[in-house]
Amino acid sequence: MTITANLSDDNATWVIKLDDKFDFGKVQEFRDAYQSLPEDITTVEVDLGQTEYMDSSALGMLLNMQKSLGERSLAYKITHCRPQVARILTISRFDKKFDIS
Amino acid sequence: MKILIIDDESLNRFLLLHMLEEEGYTDCYEAKDGPEGIQLAQEVQPDLVLLDVMMPGMDGFAVAPVLKEMAGDNYLPIIFITSLDDKESLARCLEVGGDDFVAKPFDKLILAAKIRAHDRIRQLTSKIEQQNQSLRYFQQSVDREHAIVEHIFNNAIVNKELVTDFFDFSLSPAAVFNGDVFLCESSPAGGLYFLVGDFTGHGLASAIGVLPVSRTFRFLARKGYSAGEIAAQLNTTLGSLLPPDMFCAAAVIEVDASGCRFNIWNGGLPSLLLKSSTNLSMYKVVSRHMALGILESDEFDAECEIIEGEPGDQLLVYTDGLMEVMDEHGKMADEEGVMSWFSSPETITAAFLFERAAEYRADSIQADDTTIVIFSCQSLEVLKEDFATNELPYSIHLTLKGRELNNPHIISSLMEMINSQPGMTLVRSDLYTILSEMFNNALEHGVLKLSSDLKSTPDGFHQYYQRRDTLLANLTEGEIGFKILFKPSESALDITISDSGDGFDVSTLDEDSLTACYGRGISFLRELCESVRFSDNGSTLSVRLSMAK
Repeated sequence: MTITANLSDDNATWVIKLDDKFDFGKVQEFRDAYQSLPEDITTVEVDLGQTEYMDSSALGMLLNMQKSLGERSLAYKITHCRPQVARILTISRFDKKFDIS
Repeated sequence: MKILIIDDESLNRFLLLHMLEEEGYTDCYEAKDGPEGIQLAQEVQPDLVLLDVMMPGMDGFAVAPVLKEMAGDNYLPIIFITSLDDKESLARCLEVGGDDFVAKPFDKLILAAKIRAHDRIRQLTSKIEQQNQSLRYFQQSVDREHAIVEHIFNNAIVNKELVTDFFDFSLSPAAVFNGDVFLCESSPAGGLYFLVGDFTGHGLASAIGVLPVSRTFRFLARKGYSAGEIAAQLNTTLGSLLPPDMFCAAAVIEVDASGCRFNIWNGGLPSLLLKSSTNLSMYKVVSRHMALGILESDEFDAECEIIEGEPGDQLLVYTDGLMEVMDEHGKMADEEGVMSWFSSPETITAAFLFERAAEYRADSIQADDTTIVIFSCQSLEVLKEDFATNELPYSIHLTLKGRELNNPHIISSLMEMINSQPGMTLVRSDLYTILSEMFNNALEHGVLKLSSDLKSTPDGFHQYYQRRDTLLANLTEGEIGFKILFKPSESALDITISDSGDGFDVSTLDEDSLTACYGRGISFLRELCESVRFSDNGSTLSVRLSMAK
């Protein structure tokens, strides 16, 4: 598995961790990562700490996740972005929909 | 054993010679006065001298010091044969350099016993002298070897000033050679890497492992490997080199160009501390791994921890020599001690921490190598100058047809080709995004003729990619051409990708469709590139990526 998904230590956050590439090749795997979310979580965190390469389909996947989970009131975070990745997210104005750090 | 007899009376000489012969000493020489004795001693180098005290001209008291002087460091026993029996004269025999005396008329048994006793001392002394000589020789060869090794170390472990300027550090080996190591190197992606390591023990045996670590670290750092990959490779290298009871506790840290983001692999070092410059809070990066050189490659965990600071925050990395100092009651300073030294409000220096440790252990000696490295969060943009781009132009031309397009590694291999050129790592993230946007645009819309409209719903989004897979798997026709041209004079990389498709009406491009799940590709390219241009009715796309720093 190149994507891992785990519950955080405080059981409140679902953490999805990507590897070095977040591109169209991850479409299925990324969707699987949020298919069975625990009931009582409040936040979904996408950890891009390892991610160096990204394309526009990654942005599509992120938005799709929000749409699919739309009926649940969850906070969405993108964490540990490298500056280059953070720049792409900012260019796409993703900071309006995700808490980026 | 050569024995020299110096006596002015021939009768005495005869008696002595005779007695010596009976005792088995046949290698004997005789002299009738002082000057002759001295001359003979020079010629034959005797092992023992029997010396008469009362002689005309030069007496025995005058001869003895001369003989001793001639013998130098070699032990030459001198036994006085004397008819004097006052205490003062006997004492004087010893004071002038004699080793013993025998009263005249001499007693055969006593004299023989004394000769044997002095022979034993003489043999012991010469043995000691031989051992001293080999010790001196050994010492000299060790000194020489150390000088050579020191020379090699000094050449092998050179951190560039350009990079060390960003650090405040203190390296204090407990012996001549340091079993601790601090290495730093600029990163081709901007930013830098550093490593602090501590080999088991200290001295030359520990220091020797520093050489392969330094080589491997530098090689991988210059190539832009991640901290975790560097740690994994060091583990493999050390695992194959070190004996099983030796290993290296180490932290490998990658700092990005902003100088505030750290990717940290810590195996066995004391917790790294990141201190906030505003509220002085401290974050600990504890060791999550075993030291380097213990685990097999397949057991090794390259997982890193990512932390972020603000400009001015200080990251402290140190080896256990700093915290394992003992006070006079045998109490160790430990991590708490180091934290309390580090916690004061002013900017802490490495020298300050070393002094605190020295104060703590009071009069006792430094028992282990101690390394203290402090990095203050600050922009590392200037380090990008450490990587020049190619001075000559180059180009990559490639045309992929039909089935060849169904290869998942097209972008990766293009990336590899371009990244192998100096200076390109700096833009590799942007380059990847640009290449995959352009390629996917040509493939999906040009060759496969997929419509993005499908992507407007979450389910459609997946259907789109499923159809892409199916179409691609059965693809036999169509082609995509790549032209990549590096122009050093313009500091630019020009990329042109054309497809065999029908093209499209360029005027329909919506410039700002950011909320949709699709159609973002072109706006991306406009942001990342200096220029973006469609031609051939939309089936050719050319962009320019600026390499100016």
